Amino acid sequence: MLTMLRRLFLIPVLLALSIAACSQKSEDKEVAQTSGKLAVLDWAGYDAADFWIDFKNKYPDAAVGFEIGSSDADIYGKMKAGTQADIFHVYTGWLQFYVDEGLVEEIDVTKLQNWSKVPESFRIIGQFNGKQYFLPWDWGFTSILYRTDKVKGTIDSWTALHDPKYQGHIATWDDGPGMVTVSSYIHQYDETAITPEQLAAIKAEWIKQRKLNLFYWAGEPELIDAMANGDVWVAYAWQGAYATLLGQGVPVAYADPKEGRNSWVGAYGIRKGTPNKDLALRFLDEKLAEATASNVVNQFYYGVANQEVMQGITDPALKQAFSIDDPTVLQRTNFTPNLTARQRDDWTAMWTEVKAAP
Amino acid sequence: MHPRRATFWALYLPPVAWVGLFFLVPLVLMFALSFRADMQGELLGPWRPGLTQYEAIFAVGSYWRLLAISIGMALAVAAAAVTLAYPIAYFLVFRAGRAAGICLVILMIPFWTSFLLRVMSWKFLLGSEGVINSLLSYLNVISEPLGGLLYSRNAVVITLIYVWVPFAALPIYAALQRIDHELLESAADLGARPWAGFRAVTFPLSLTGVLASFFMVFIPTVGEYVTPLLIGGSSGSMFGNIIQDFFTKAANWPRGAALSIVMLAITLVLVAIAARVVNVRRLLG
Amino acid sequence: MIASRAIAHPPRPGFLGAYFAGLAILLYLPLAVLLLFSFNAGTSLSFPVQDLTLDWYRKLFDSPEVLRAARNSIIVAVGSGSAATLLGTAVAILLTRFRFRGESALFAIALLPLVVPIVVLAVALLVLFLAIGIDRSLWTVGIGHTVVALPFVVLIVTARLAGFDRDLEDAAMDLGARYPKVLARIVLPLIAPAIVSAWLVAFTVSLDEFALALFLAGNDATFPVYLFSQLRFASRLPVMIALAVLMMVATLLLVLLAEWIRRRGATARAA
Repeated sequence: MLTMLRRLFLIPVLLALSIAACSQKSEDKEVAQTSGKLAVLDWAGYDAADFWIDFKNKYPDAAVGFEIGSSDADIYGKMKAGTQADIFHVYTGWLQFYVDEGLVEEIDVTKLQNWSKVPESFRIIGQFNGKQYFLPWDWGFTSILYRTDKVKGTIDSWTALHDPKYQGHIATWDDGPGMVTVSSYIHQYDETAITPEQLAAIKAEWIKQRKLNLFYWAGEPELIDAMANGDVWVAYAWQGAYATLLGQGVPVAYADPKEGRNSWVGAYGIRKGTPNKDLALRFLDEKLAEATASNVVNQFYYGVANQEVMQGITDPALKQAFSIDDPTVLQRTNFTPNLTARQRDDWTAMWTEVKAAP
Repeated sequence: MHPRRATFWALYLPPVAWVGLFFLVPLVLMFALSFRADMQGELLGPWRPGLTQYEAIFAVGSYWRLLAISIGMALAVAAAAVTLAYPIAYFLVFRAGRAAGICLVILMIPFWTSFLLRVMSWKFLLGSEGVINSLLSYLNVISEPLGGLLYSRNAVVITLIYVWVPFAALPIYAALQRIDHELLESAADLGARPWAGFRAVTFPLSLTGVLASFFMVFIPTVGEYVTPLLIGGSSGSMFGNIIQDFFTKAANWPRGAALSIVMLAITLVLVAIAARVVNVRRLLG
Repeated sequence: MIASRAIAHPPRPGFLGAYFAGLAILLYLPLAVLLLFSFNAGTSLSFPVQDLTLDWYRKLFDSPEVLRAARNSIIVAVGSGSAATLLGTAVAILLTRFRFRGESALFAIALLPLVVPIVVLAVALLVLFLAIGIDRSLWTVGIGHTVVALPFVVLIVTARLAGFDRDLEDAAMDLGARYPKVLARIVLPLIAPAIVSAWLVAFTVSLDEFALALFLAGNDATFPVYLFSQLRFASRLPVMIALAVLMMVATLLLVLLAEWIRRRGATARAA
């Protein structure tokens, strides 16, 4: 009996050891063969080959490994802790911290062949102190998404998220700074200079809203399912959810609120001190290339910085989602400003108090 | 060395070394981190320790109210799970016979499927246009969809009980195995009523298992965050969600660390009190 | 004598059996839903169920990343489950068979991972590994899982050993056996079912664990992390469901097979 037990325990140990031995061997092979290895800290889903396909095809000898980050805060924390990723992907609001803390390299745009396809309005998003630190890549809108068969009339204001008519059928994003933004649109606060009194009022407002809110969504799939099966009628949403639901045949509309929509931009940065700076730059360059950008638009329903690809969109659902046929929409859109460390701490703490409130 | 001494060290050193390096050291790191004022500068570099985080978290009354609620929920879940699990353990030991092993595995297999996918299935079944509601309204039992099945604190408690019952059965199963079947059968042969055997012999001997099971469920449930996140809705957050948020939404590790340390301390105190009351030392033998 | 007793009192399911069956049904209900949707031609979990198809299973075998993620999860679960069982059993034996200073402290520390929220441990281990310079990989995930599974093993095996009748051990030692041999030849075999159930729990805890895997895995995702990363694509969901169903069915079949073999062996021996 004991010999059997011994054998039973031996098997997994041997298994583990042999697997370790195998992976060791394959690692040595990689170092010898390829011209470089890149480590990318990116969001879930972007590790799929489709979203770096141009780089993959152009540099077949380069290996790319992905580390998944689950949020801006997660990625920032990992970068602070000293991850060895060469490249990382973050969104507007969170860009300033990396510059302030010296975590990001300057990007030499003269080496980027696709840089000409990025319009100036996007380029400045990645510029700090006159230098280009980030490569803008993906972008989108935030607005109110709603079921046209459950909501009477059209929604034209961010106050819809606080409307008691939709009690139990509202869903907002699980994000403190995001909600501060919404409140600042509604009350015409200056988003870059929220006072403590304003923050307290915002907190009280969202505590009240909690009774109307069904759940806080952490990712679009959650929201899409809930809207498709009728649990949620009105939601704070990105256009990816809008396009997906349109594609599924669910009757939804994407509001054009009088306070203006919000827009956010995702950008890639190169970690300061990386030994693979040149390879990283090539990776960033190929990120802007056509096939990669098209895949993002068609599979993720996110916008890209490559203007040529954006102008080449033909799918009617996507054109609707990006408001391509309405060139004035961007003038009414508010872009997410970058947070200071203090604001980040205060606004995220505020949100935890909203959740903890009785 | 006396063989028993050698055995002692052979058994003692590996687990202690492992737990020491891979648990206590990180824990101390977290503890140290909680005295940091913010995330500025090199994380592992030197900084001036202070009580900023502790002052900040103690100033928020709603955090501690939420902790009390979480502890209450954990107590309810543990009590219910252990009670519901006891018949399962009894079944495995006294009724399943040789099939006990396979029955055990049958209980475990659902947990080898992604929890995320299973919750998605439950949302499909319990949603306002889901199977249960559709069936009930088709049968005219209800006119409006039942709201409280998902996205509430009750839904969290029920789900946690559901998820814990198979695991809670295991320590009880382990303890019940100590009982000599033949002793019980002899007693029955001699005319003792079935309940008498249970009350006098079986249940007391299974108490170590019951207690182990209770703590096994209670302790981690206090800091639970996944289930409230997936089905708690806006008002179903538990204390664990606040801690989780400070790490993954706020990038404020020092504050998350401070909250964790306080939760750890309070849970330990509760467990110590309970252990004293129950006299664990005597039970361990 | 014992064999005849076994035949005289075969397993009697009765009311408790019905209770067990009821719980099993409740546990498998969501899996039945997943099974249904693995054959659904549509990509979202909603009614009505459209045409039935085997496409997703076919696609599964064309998706090496999915299979690799599943393989990674199993490797980590087997490894960490075994490590946790070894270490936890050692602790359980120490607590119930030896008297030493620091017994309560050992018990408390062995159970402490239960109290610490998993995300705290994940971040702390991340900082530790980065500080020491250990590259993140399936090994680091396994280390984290072992720590987390340890309390479960300790609790289950301790529950079995506590108050365990020492007559057998004492008798063996009176007859001259050394203690390690007593442990190996007498104690461990008798508590084997408890050890196996502890291993099962440790294995289960690791298989679907997400937080530690997210923080501590390098480039090799485990299945929960991979699933998380694929959720954004509604079109990829059915393949993931197909894999989950397949894994469950395969395990169930394996277990039934093992049981059938064991019964064949048992009746063969009896005859």
